[in-house]
Amino acid sequence: MSRVAEWGRRYAALIRNAWLVDLQYRASIVLWLLWGVTEPAVALGIWWAIAGDGQVAGYARADFARYFFALMLVNQLTIAWDSWYLDGWIREGELNFRLARPLHPAHEAVAENIAYKARTAGMILVVWLVVSLVWPAVRLPLAPGRWALTAAAVLLAAAMRFFISFTTGLLAFWTTRATAIMELHAGVSLFLSGRLAPLALLPPAVASAAALSWFPYMLAFPVELLTGAAQSTAIVKGFAGQLAWLGVWIAAYHLTWTRGLRRYGAVGG
Amino acid sequence: MPPAITADRLSKTFQVKVRDPGLRGALQALLKPRYRDVHAVREVTFNIDPGEIVAFLGPNGAGKTTTLKMLAGLLYPTSGRVAVAGFTPWGSGSEFKRRIALVLGNRQQLVWDLPPEETFQLNRAIYDIAEPDYRERLAELVALLELGDLLAKPVRQLSLGERMKCELAAALLHRPPILFLDEPTLGLDVTAQEAIRRFLTQYRDRHGATVLLTSHYMQDVTALATRVLIINRGQLLYDGALAALVARIARTKRIELVLADGVTADALAAFGDVKEFRFPNAVLEVPREEAAATSARLLAALPVADLSIEDPPIEDVIRLAFAHGVAEDD
Amino acid sequence: MRNAEFQWRVVPRGQARGTKPIMTFRIPHSALRILAALWRLNLAEELQYRANFVASVLGTLFWIVTALLTLAVFFSHTTRLGGWDYWEVVVLLGVFNALTGVIEAVLRPGIGRLAGEVRSGGLDLVLAKPVDPQAFVSFRRLDIWRLTDVVLGLALAGYALHRLGRVPSFAQLAAFGLALAAAAVVVYALWVVLMSLAFWFVSVENLSVLFDAVYEGARYPVSAYPEALRFLFVYLIPIAWTTTIPASALTGRLGPEIGLVAALVAGVALALARLVWRTALKRYTGASG
Repeated sequence: MSRVAEWGRRYAALIRNAWLVDLQYRASIVLWLLWGVTEPAVALGIWWAIAGDGQVAGYARADFARYFFALMLVNQLTIAWDSWYLDGWIREGELNFRLARPLHPAHEAVAENIAYKARTAGMILVVWLVVSLVWPAVRLPLAPGRWALTAAAVLLAAAMRFFISFTTGLLAFWTTRATAIMELHAGVSLFLSGRLAPLALLPPAVASAAALSWFPYMLAFPVELLTGAAQSTAIVKGFAGQLAWLGVWIAAYHLTWTRGLRRYGAVGG
Repeated sequence: MPPAITADRLSKTFQVKVRDPGLRGALQALLKPRYRDVHAVREVTFNIDPGEIVAFLGPNGAGKTTTLKMLAGLLYPTSGRVAVAGFTPWGSGSEFKRRIALVLGNRQQLVWDLPPEETFQLNRAIYDIAEPDYRERLAELVALLELGDLLAKPVRQLSLGERMKCELAAALLHRPPILFLDEPTLGLDVTAQEAIRRFLTQYRDRHGATVLLTSHYMQDVTALATRVLIINRGQLLYDGALAALVARIARTKRIELVLADGVTADALAAFGDVKEFRFPNAVLEVPREEAAATSARLLAALPVADLSIEDPPIEDVIRLAFAHGVAEDD
Repeated sequence: MRNAEFQWRVVPRGQARGTKPIMTFRIPHSALRILAALWRLNLAEELQYRANFVASVLGTLFWIVTALLTLAVFFSHTTRLGGWDYWEVVVLLGVFNALTGVIEAVLRPGIGRLAGEVRSGGLDLVLAKPVDPQAFVSFRRLDIWRLTDVVLGLALAGYALHRLGRVPSFAQLAAFGLALAAAAVVVYALWVVLMSLAFWFVSVENLSVLFDAVYEGARYPVSAYPEALRFLFVYLIPIAWTTTIPASALTGRLGPEIGLVAALVAGVALALARLVWRTALKRYTGASG
């Protein structure tokens, strides 16, 4: 049996299980989705008030609307909650049986991400389609090349956010405050990844600092690709940045996993 | 045939932070932490041949689970050697993990919200079990464990005993030659415990699997294992047949009574050593050989509502073993 | 997000409370004693964990800094938000933080756990106790360290007032105190109504998330939102009364009489919440009348 077929079978089973469990919790998931949507909705509301009939740094009301709707979708497609799962696994002793079987625990986490995102992104997409019927401002150009590029950027962003979240969760091998670290990261990303406002609206010093970090590549870059705001050189730089930072975080994950496992083997769990 | 499991002077020492009480102690623990050594496992040595069922017996905190985790590859030894199915557990990859099954009594691998068969299918994919093999093994496990209609109910609707049976089935689908079971009968009612013990014996008889289980129930040992390893405070106190140990060490049996009517302490004392007496319950200690006869006399002479003959608690046997300094192999 | 394993045993359901009048909210002395005993126990527990105190304060400070930076970003592109100056919005921020302290200290650990208990059957244990179930569920736990949020929030509001150069009159302070208390009551009423949904939607574990979603809008003055949302937040889901009104009372945007209006609104909200709760509980216990 070929390796590819084996892995395909494994992922199919993992995704199926995650999907079925999500089905049981679909009401809870809708509530989480609602909560995830209110933050960009409130931000949009405030920028809407500030923009009035004019513009803010080149963004009119319609531009803000398009930006934040795109943000809602991209965020749902890229967000990763694995640090909380891992932290729970490590502290509740649920890592043991996972380590004793011939499957790296990360695969389960990846499959869970895929199932969850397929479900919730689907919901947001439907809502967006409906809204765009009555509100022309949020409609998007349909150039297929643009969509393909966006899909690639979203995939890279999702992968990077997964590794950030998983690596932070692995810190639970050493500290009880792994989730606090993740919340710190989320607090910073509010500004630097564009969740509060398009990066152009940040003070120039802050925006330059952001450009040196991985934060814009988590959200802002794929969002600007989706809304059509990003131009040719920015696109090339964006993908370069995504690939580079993805590499950095994969390395960080690898280092943390090997060290963490050794520590786990020393002190148990 | 080489042994299935080998442990040679296996040791595990943990370093635990020492923390003084109070604010100053908390500060010191943060800035200049001090450690003390906890010797969880000390120079444990044993060999287990393929097809044996061996019980690791000892009170809580004795080092059983720590040893088991070293055998399963979850912890690495501080010193000593360990080999399982020809592999060194720590750091071994998929090939080793396919040869073992690990079942932890207090943590389950069954997905909580779904029926057990979903977890079975998942394991089939993880262990790359071919379709016809899977069907055959599942049928056998369902028959032996009497799982029947449990397969389609979500795990959260199953009782503790039913869950444990499904847990075992999930763990054995890939037919590993070596089973590690940590407190498999913990918290189960008597029927479920017996069912699991019966199953393990049958499974071993059919497939020649090597089974190592930890427990603090004596009945797990008497019903299942002919060989017992007694471990206390990290040290292996006894390795051999249980019957021999009990016969030599535990010279007494406990008769637990529930009395239907008033009885004086003196009346009881005539039959044996009165250990506890709080009406209506009483516990007598009598020499082992006389237990049955004494029970018959008690039933005839006194108003007894209920009577049972018990082995002394494992802690007593171990204390005795420790006090008498039983040699490792007997 | 995922449900943890529950191991409660279901006990026979408690007596239905159909005979109590709907509109009063009598708390007998014995109930107060029980609550006091619970709180003493909580306190003893929590004081062991001094690390929690430090973590709590650091967490709140981080949140406050984040919120201030958020405001800074908004105000770098405008001078007024819904007609409010920067420091006026900071006063509102302080009020928001103080109420967050009340929510995290009292409401989330108390009534926030209702959904899980309904599902697991643990609620039946509560119903069997000789205390009004709503009072018991609401106030049984005190996460005392979160009360630091109240202190920090009020300090922030005070500082912002100082930067505005305003010294509130006694009437304004009284109105603020009244409006703040009313705000806490309104927040409580919202929690009760939302958590009562647990009796209908038993399978939903994270109902408290619904509150967080709704309450997100209370971070900014209600005048910053479009007309329709303003109507919603003042009359239907009254989060305007939680932060905007007390902040307005303190800064003098609204006259001191608003304190009395707020108290009235709080009373109505509480009564409505009680009604919803009793209806939900009746449905749960299967009582009639």
